[in-house]
Amino acid sequence: MVQMEKEIIFEAKHMRKEFGPTIALKDVDFTLRRGEIRGLVGENGSGKSTIMSIASGMQPATKGEMFYKGQPWNPGSMVQAQDAGISMILQEANTIPGVSVAQNIFSGHEAEFSSFGIINMKKMKAQAQERLNSFGISHIRAGDPIDKYTFEDRKLVEIVRCVTDETEILVVDETTTALSLEGREILYRLIHKMADQGKAVVFVSHDMDEILEQCTDLTVLRDGEIIGHLTRLEMDAPDSVKTIRYMMVGREIGDKYYREDYDTSHSDEVALELQDVSLGKIQHFNLKLHKGEIIGMGGLSGCGMHDIGRIAYGLEKLQGGRVLRNGKEIKTPLQAINSGIGYISKNRDSEALILNGPIQDNIVLPSIPALEKRTFISPRAEKKLSDIEIGNYRIKCHGGKQYVNTLSGGNKQKVSFGKWTAKGSEVIIMDCPTRGVDIGVKQAMYTLIEEMKKQGKAILMISEELSELIGMADRLIIMKDFAVTHQVERNPDLKQTDLIEYMI
Amino acid sequence: MTAIAHETEKQTMQQWVKKHGSSVASVGGLVFCLIFFTVTTGLKGESIWSASKLATLIGDVIVTALMAVGAVFIYSLGNMDVSIGKQVGLYSTLLVLVGNATGSLWIAILVCLLIAVFIGIINGAAGEVLHMYSVISSVVFMMVLSGVSTIIYSNQGTRNISMNPGINLTLFRQPWFMVLILAIETAVIGYFFYYTKFGKYARAIGANQLATSQSGVNIILYRVIPYIFLAVCLVTASLFQMGYTGAASDSTGTGFEMNVMVSLILGGMPLKGGMKSRLSCAIIGALTFSLLAVGLPIIGIPTRLTFLIKAAIFMIVVLITCRQKGGVLPR
Repeated sequence: MVQMEKEIIFEAKHMRKEFGPTIALKDVDFTLRRGEIRGLVGENGSGKSTIMSIASGMQPATKGEMFYKGQPWNPGSMVQAQDAGISMILQEANTIPGVSVAQNIFSGHEAEFSSFGIINMKKMKAQAQERLNSFGISHIRAGDPIDKYTFEDRKLVEIVRCVTDETEILVVDETTTALSLEGREILYRLIHKMADQGKAVVFVSHDMDEILEQCTDLTVLRDGEIIGHLTRLEMDAPDSVKTIRYMMVGREIGDKYYREDYDTSHSDEVALELQDVSLGKIQHFNLKLHKGEIIGMGGLSGCGMHDIGRIAYGLEKLQGGRVLRNGKEIKTPLQAINSGIGYISKNRDSEALILNGPIQDNIVLPSIPALEKRTFISPRAEKKLSDIEIGNYRIKCHGGKQYVNTLSGGNKQKVSFGKWTAKGSEVIIMDCPTRGVDIGVKQAMYTLIEEMKKQGKAILMISEELSELIGMADRLIIMKDFAVTHQVERNPDLKQTDLIEYMI
Repeated sequence: MTAIAHETEKQTMQQWVKKHGSSVASVGGLVFCLIFFTVTTGLKGESIWSASKLATLIGDVIVTALMAVGAVFIYSLGNMDVSIGKQVGLYSTLLVLVGNATGSLWIAILVCLLIAVFIGIINGAAGEVLHMYSVISSVVFMMVLSGVSTIIYSNQGTRNISMNPGINLTLFRQPWFMVLILAIETAVIGYFFYYTKFGKYARAIGANQLATSQSGVNIILYRVIPYIFLAVCLVTASLFQMGYTGAASDSTGTGFEMNVMVSLILGGMPLKGGMKSRLSCAIIGALTFSLLAVGLPIIGIPTRLTFLIKAAIFMIVVLITCRQKGGVLPR
């Protein structure tokens, strides 16, 4: 058994990947053995997703060799790689809308259920439900339309689609940020089961706690190069987190990560108010956000906290109550923006960004009215504004004209953040603001949020990461089943365990 | 190693083609047509560069180009308007009728502009307000305007009407004037398309309406404004359409919406709209389209076959475009 665990299942030699002038991978050697849960960590754009996207057939390498089960490996597509046993679960939603859960699970394998060109849907549904049940997610029904389910549930359907008995290598690319707590547990059970069966898992994540808890080995990348590997023993060392962060960033991150002060003071002036708001299961919800205050809102994914963010930005038509900013009612995003409110959506790729558009156009979009002079919008002014944000957030790109869909997940998030800082919004609603963002940038964002507070800006921070809410918020609101279950002021004794009971 | 290097070369080539392919294909298509017709018409003892043929070419290209320049705004939204031909037919008819009745072309133009803007507002807003594809409302207008045309010509008791000779239309037959107006229209539309929020928002809506809406853009308003630009361009095109012959008929404008679509596609316009939409598509496409229309008969292709050839080219371009990832037809 030990012999089997040590057997090399995948190997890349001198792998190089270029995207135009950007070098994503520089001469990387990477080895994966059976029985490993190999963590891959690095800053956004360090190349960690690129290695495995090449291995799983999403794109070819520019140079280098790959070997899978001892044979030269050069997949032409993700389907080919999946059929051969290498599956990759991506960060963003990858289900097919408008069809059933079962059709999503067996997408590309319809022939298995076809005779004379007619698909036996009954058989497909039955097998899909069996698969769902075997993963412990029987609440998802195979015959239902996929659009009925939440983002988190659709992510679980993707996992069921990707992982079969034949899967030898599973690549989990920053997937857990898109999963609920229960979903994460399901995924953790799955990857440990696979490792126990002598298969291999590559786990890409920015969550250091998760990496240290789940992985058996760790590889750190920086700027397209492998900086080092850590064994389980080294990962258990007392200062391992500090070591890993240093390896990732190439400089001392320092101990300062979240806010260090416990000063919850803020202006008495109300910046944003939700008055007796009702919408669907949310009934008579009240909230006052003051200038210079950070309110953290936490809970499980379907608890209603994300809806509160949308309501506050005027995206939902209320059944009762109102949203007020400076005494004026907010009913649309346009009214929200005009009154100085910005919103960073959780659904980054579909709602926050124009993926098929340049970085510059994305950053300046909300600021266009401010740039306009007698209908004329100066390209120079647009570039200047965009370049400032690209510089502030250290967005890895070769200019504002680069398309957003060519950026890594974290860099995309920086663009969505940059839209509102460029606009100079006074109230910022952040729904999962650091999702998919590396620690270096997270630290910079937390510093920026702290600066915003000092400048008197009001921040509503909605997050599924309790640690960042505890670390940053002046006041924490915990929600469960669309209602507030707990509120607590910032204090040094506050721990995640104090809050979890109000969430579940 | 060699297999990967070979695959990479192929991939790099694919990426380059993806990025520049439509521009190269559209400009290349135009250059090819220019060379092809220069050579082949020469073999037939004629030349497309003769003064008479150039005048015919400009006369042919002007109406299509004037319409296509305005339609770029609509296509950048990811929309299309199939009522274009019937609108040009109606405006040409009204220019004659109102011009003859009032003795003033300016009044006729004003009447046409008012109607065109009204149709544009309905076409632009209906899709968003009624939650349907914008092309549906344009189909409705196509049918309604067809009916209006039938009523007008039935009442007139003829299928052709001519402008009173008292109104001088010679200017609209001058090639230099055609080129001048096209240049002015292109410059004005180009300004609005590239340097104002109207064009920027239209392209953003075409690329991702939800993200654009969440960035504070009033979707209905900025869907309507492109149709108003198109309305003005259609009235301008109608002026030249009617002015060239000094007459209008119940078949004026028939099939023009397809001419615009084919021109834009030949010019490299992305069918799904969005950030890669370019105004140059209208000019390049209209020139290529008119070169085919003027050049093919000169080299001896029967007129009925020229339609087939144009249809075949259109189908090939659509098939290639729609095979691309995310390629959809405008709606």
